[in-house]
Amino acid sequence: MRRWLRTGGAVLATTALLLVLVTAGQPAAMPEIKIGTVLPLTGAFGSSGTYFKQGYGMAIDDVNKAGGLDVGGQKYHVTLTVLDDGSDGTRSRSLVEKLVTDQHVNFLLGGYDTSLVEAQEVVPDQYKIPYVEGGGAASEIFKRNYKYVFGTLATIYNLGTITMDYLAYQIGQNKLPKPITIAIVWENTDHGKDYIDAILDQQKAHPDLFKVVLNQSFQLNGSDFSPLLQQVKASNATVFLSDAHLPDFITMHRQYLQAGLYHQVVSYGARGPDQRGRQALGTGADYLIAGLWWTPALKDPASQLFAERYQREFHAIPDWFQALAYDTARVLLQAVRDAKTLAGPVVRDTLAHMVFHGSLLPGGVIRFGPDGQVRAPYVMVQTTPGNTVRIIWPKKMPETRDGVVPMPHVQ
Amino acid sequence: MFTAQNLLSVGVAALLTAGLYAVMSYGLAIIYGVMKVINLSNAGFLMLGAFMTLVYFQAWHLDPLAGAFVNLPVFFVAGWLVYRGLVRRVMTSLPLASLLMLFALWLVLQNLALAIWGADDQSIITAYTYKALSVFGFRIPVTRLLVFGVALLVLGILHYVLGHTYVGKALRATVQDPQASLLVGIDTDRISAVAFGLGTAFAGFAGSLLTLLFSFTPDFGGAFQLKSFTIIVLGGLENFAGVTVGAAILAFVESFAVLFMKASLQNVIAYALLVIVLIVMPGGVAQLWSRNRS
Repeated sequence: MRRWLRTGGAVLATTALLLVLVTAGQPAAMPEIKIGTVLPLTGAFGSSGTYFKQGYGMAIDDVNKAGGLDVGGQKYHVTLTVLDDGSDGTRSRSLVEKLVTDQHVNFLLGGYDTSLVEAQEVVPDQYKIPYVEGGGAASEIFKRNYKYVFGTLATIYNLGTITMDYLAYQIGQNKLPKPITIAIVWENTDHGKDYIDAILDQQKAHPDLFKVVLNQSFQLNGSDFSPLLQQVKASNATVFLSDAHLPDFITMHRQYLQAGLYHQVVSYGARGPDQRGRQALGTGADYLIAGLWWTPALKDPASQLFAERYQREFHAIPDWFQALAYDTARVLLQAVRDAKTLAGPVVRDTLAHMVFHGSLLPGGVIRFGPDGQVRAPYVMVQTTPGNTVRIIWPKKMPETRDGVVPMPHVQ
Repeated sequence: MFTAQNLLSVGVAALLTAGLYAVMSYGLAIIYGVMKVINLSNAGFLMLGAFMTLVYFQAWHLDPLAGAFVNLPVFFVAGWLVYRGLVRRVMTSLPLASLLMLFALWLVLQNLALAIWGADDQSIITAYTYKALSVFGFRIPVTRLLVFGVALLVLGILHYVLGHTYVGKALRATVQDPQASLLVGIDTDRISAVAFGLGTAFAGFAGSLLTLLFSFTPDFGGAFQLKSFTIIVLGGLENFAGVTVGAAILAFVESFAVLFMKASLQNVIAYALLVIVLIVMPGGVAQLWSRNRS
C-alpha cells in the first residue's frame, strides 16, 4: 500500500513539474470581464436587435485588439454574452436575471426598444450591476429612480420638441401656412406618450402656429392601419406626424402611400432614414423628415470613421442603432477603465459623473443627468432620392442644408 | 368631422379588406370542417407563402399575383405531406395532441424562415404598389382592388368545386357526417388529406396576396391567424358561406369602430366580438340562418 502511494505521488509530482516547465515560457492567461446583454434578435424588433449586437461587438473588439481593457494597471480580456429575448418583455427580464445569476456577468448593456428596456431595468439595481442602454429613449425609463440604469438616447419628448421647432421655422419662412393643422398618431407606449406630450405642449405654447386636428393612438406592432389612415385623411391636416417603431413605420407608410394620402410634411419621429425602411419602401420613403440621435450625414471625423468602418465590416450603411450601440458600449468600458475596479457601485458612481469625449453623438460628448438619461441634442434629417440623407436642422450646423418643404408627391 | 364621402370611403376599404380576410380564413374553415382540427400552423404557412412569393419575385421577377397561383399547387402538396406524415398520426388521440403538434409545426416553420431569411422586414414593391384608381371620387389602392378581385375569383372557383365536383361533394358530406360518408363509400382519409392540402394551399395563396399590402418577417401571420379564428367562429365554424359573411362582419366592425374610438383598441374590438359571439351565438351566422329556416 505504502509503495503504491509512493509511486502515485511520484507520478503526480512529475506531471506537475512537466506542466510548470511547459507553461513557464508563456504569459499568464488574461483575466476576463464578462459583459452581458439581452437583445431582440428575433421577433418584431429582430433587425434593430441585430444592429445593436453589431455595434456592441465593434466597441468590444476595439478594446480586445488593443490588448485588453486596463483596469487599475491590470489588463482584462472583455467578452460579450448575447441572449435573444424574441422581442418579448417577460422573457427579456428573466434572461437579464439569468445573465447575472448563471453567467455571473460583471456589467450589463441594454436591449432595444423602450418596452423591453423597461422590462429589463428592474434587474440592475437588485444586483448592483451597472447597466448602460442605448435602445430605450422614453423618459418613463428614468423616472423610476433606478440608480444603476444609464441611457445614451436623448428623451423622446425632445424629439417631439425639435420636430415642432423645425415646423415653426418653416412657417416663419412662409413655406407652411400659419397656423398649420397637424394630424398626429402615436404608438400607445411610453415612447409615444412622450412624443404626444411634446407636441401638445408646443401647441399650447404656440396656438398661433400649431393646431392639432387629429390625435389618435395605435397599438404597437399593428398589422393594418387602413382605418386609422382613413381618419388621417378625413382630418384634412397640412402635416402628418406619427411616432412609430420600424415595423409599424414600414407598414403604416406603405398603407399611407397606397391610400394616396399626401401632406406637406410627413414625419415618423425617428424613422425614415433607416436602411431597412428605405429598402422596404423604395422611393416611397423619400422626403420624409426625422429627428435622429445620429446619422451618417454628420461630417465630424469620428462619425465618418465609424460609418466607413461599419461599411467595411458589414457592407451596409449604418443607422443610428449601430452608432448608439457602439457609443453605449464605449461609455461602459470607459467607466470601468476610469473606476479602476470591477466593483459595481464604484463603476456606477463613475458613470454618474463621467464626461465622455469623442462620442459619435452630435456635440461629441456624453454626460448623464441625475436621472441617468443622457443630455444630448437631436438632428433633424430629410431622406432624399438615391438613398441619401441630408441634415436640415439645427440651422447652426455646418452640414445643415435647406429641407424640401412642402414635400413633393413621390408617387 | 366625417362626411358621407368619408364614411363611404371607409365602407369601400372595409369591403376590400373583407375579401382578403375571407381568403385567409377559408383554409382554416375547410380543415376544421372536415377534420375538427384547429390548424395552428396556418399562420406558419401564411408566412411561408409570403416568403416563397419573395423568392419567386427575386429569382424570376414573378409578380406576387402570379406567385399566389404558383403557391396553390406547391402548398397543396406541402399540406398533403404534412397530413400524411404528421397529422394523421395524431388524429385518433386527444384533440390537444393535434393542437400542440400543429403549434409546434408553426414554431418550426418560423425558425426555419428565420434561419433562411433572417429577422429583417422584407417587402415586395411592384410597379403598381403605390398606385391608386379614382372611381366615382374615391381613391382605391390598386393593390387592394387586385387582392379583392383575385380573392373573389378563387373563392368562386372553390364554391364551384365544392358544389359541382365529386371531391367537393365528398368534402361537404364529410363535414356534415363523417360516419355516413364512410357508409356511402367516401374515402374519408383521402378527403381529409385533400382538405388539409386545400387549407394549406389557401394559406400559401393568402400569404402571397398579403405581400402586396404588407411587409413581412418570420413572425408574420400570428395577428392574421387570430383574425381568421374570429371569422370562422362568426361564420359558424363548419359553414363555408358563413366564412365570407364572418369576414365581412369583422372587416366592417374593425373599420367603422376605429372611427369612433381609439385605434389602439382595434384588436380589442375583434376579440370582444369573438367573446360575444361565443356567448350569445356560438353557432355564428350559420345558427341565425338555420333558425330562420326552421
